[in-house]
Amino acid sequence: MRKIADFFLYFILLILAAWQIPWVINFIRTPDTSQVYFAIYSAAADDFICNQFDENRKLQRVGTDGRVYSEAEADSLLPCFFMRQLVADGRFPDSIQGVAVTPHGVQQTNLTIRLNPRDINGNLIELYPLMESMPKRVDLEMPDDVFRITSEGIEFIAVETNQIKEQKSRMFTEALQAKGFRFPALWVSGNPSTRKNYDEGYLLLDSNHRLFNLKRCAGRPFVHEFAIPEGITLTHAFAIEPNARQFRGLATDTGNRLYVLTTDYRLVLTGVESFQPTTDRILIIGNMFDWTVAVTDDYAIHHYALDASDYHLIRRLDRTFEEAADLPGLHFTSADDKFCYPRF
Amino acid sequence: MYYKEWIKTRWYLLLMFLATSGFAGYCLLRLHRVALIKGMGHMWEIMLTHDVVFVDYLKFVPLVAGLLLAFVQFVPEMYHKCLKLTLHLPVSHLKVVTQMLSFGVIAILACDVLNFVILWSYLHEVMAYELWSRCLLTALPWYMAGLAAYLLASWTILEPNWRRRVFNLLVSLLVIKIYFICDAPASYNSFLPVLLVFTLALLILNWISIARFKEGKE
Repeated sequence: MRKIADFFLYFILLILAAWQIPWVINFIRTPDTSQVYFAIYSAAADDFICNQFDENRKLQRVGTDGRVYSEAEADSLLPCFFMRQLVADGRFPDSIQGVAVTPHGVQQTNLTIRLNPRDINGNLIELYPLMESMPKRVDLEMPDDVFRITSEGIEFIAVETNQIKEQKSRMFTEALQAKGFRFPALWVSGNPSTRKNYDEGYLLLDSNHRLFNLKRCAGRPFVHEFAIPEGITLTHAFAIEPNARQFRGLATDTGNRLYVLTTDYRLVLTGVESFQPTTDRILIIGNMFDWTVAVTDDYAIHHYALDASDYHLIRRLDRTFEEAADLPGLHFTSADDKFCYPRF
Repeated sequence: MYYKEWIKTRWYLLLMFLATSGFAGYCLLRLHRVALIKGMGHMWEIMLTHDVVFVDYLKFVPLVAGLLLAFVQFVPEMYHKCLKLTLHLPVSHLKVVTQMLSFGVIAILACDVLNFVILWSYLHEVMAYELWSRCLLTALPWYMAGLAAYLLASWTILEPNWRRRVFNLLVSLLVIKIYFICDAPASYNSFLPVLLVFTLALLILNWISIARFKEGKE
């Protein structure tokens, strides 16, 4: 018995050592902050403008050919990104790339999208408020019910009574089934917030990997299926509601290809080589002319410049992380998920 | 043996049951108050959009309850040298200490079950199961921490050597940290079965202290 107890104590000590020793070493090791990996595509320069520290640790903007741009030059090369600065300086142009622009128009079409694996790798609550997409008042309001999707259909639960709304559930289930939706849903994505300009409901991936848009319009269900070309099996879809309503969201397939979901319910393949939503982070900084897409994995950050009209690849920049990797050890948490369990 | 432990700890057990149930009830009152002032819809909304679970006040309550039970049960034994007498009984000393600890484990588990019944009885009335199960699963590692704290504290108290006690204390602190690493609600779900087995297995560490006590290590 004593031997079993001793063995168990040694096991605990081993676990604690594998967990705490690398943690302490990584904690006391000074992190290298000399490298910054932010880059944004400039159509005027037809190049990525990268942020970089000089020898005095002052931030400077550098082209991929090593050319250093002054602040004023960088502002002019990225007129959509530095729009407010150019307006403040009285230098905002009347037209960009031959297109007449106004600060308001640029502000409306600028977009920033961040997707983090941590947002989807977790025990998510599978209850969703479905807001009225055509409200009588201009402000959006949270509904008095939430829905869940089961293997039989969609169920609306009244929040005040915690009871299922049978009639509404039946109406929405039938609407989805009439459009060919096969329960249960593999993936549900929406933005249940009143702090947005409009509501486009939810994107639902059915059990046959077909993608649907579900909305509540004047209290009635609105269901529309996306046209997915044969051979594409979608795995994730992300509902995005940009100010200018340029598109409906993003989607990925089994080959980790990234698609834009258009307003006319089509999929457009982007020039992004690979994006795995469960492991990679993505940052999209877009304007009316082009998007800079930064996909970050464990080893590198891949920048893609895409044409905003058809999302084809204009230019690409890959930058491998130069910092020494953390000492490997036992971890219970990860920056990529919200789970707690031991892993190396 | 169980009767002896009952006599020794009954007043503390009453306090433990009342205090932990009181905290569980307070969490529910807080939730009920939010529902009364802002409406049940607001409560659901913040749970869904801000990942709030409303049972945060319980976080360290089981831990403190478990620690105090170990103190109440074993500090008098060590101080009055009753343990020496107990170990002279014609019964296996490991069996004796396992019985003493299993009394504490059963008492803590009973207290935990009572707390969960109190929480569940209100939550399942006003929330969908996705929400109430999330609240209870978030609290589960904290209750396991209470059990672990009891077993590790008794391991430290029963240790006869002071230097070794400090070592036990450091190991115990790091082990307890495992139960509080992640604040995200329901983040321990997949780890819970392993964590439960690990927590119950902490009982056998006490065999080391008792064996060393029996060997006369000071």
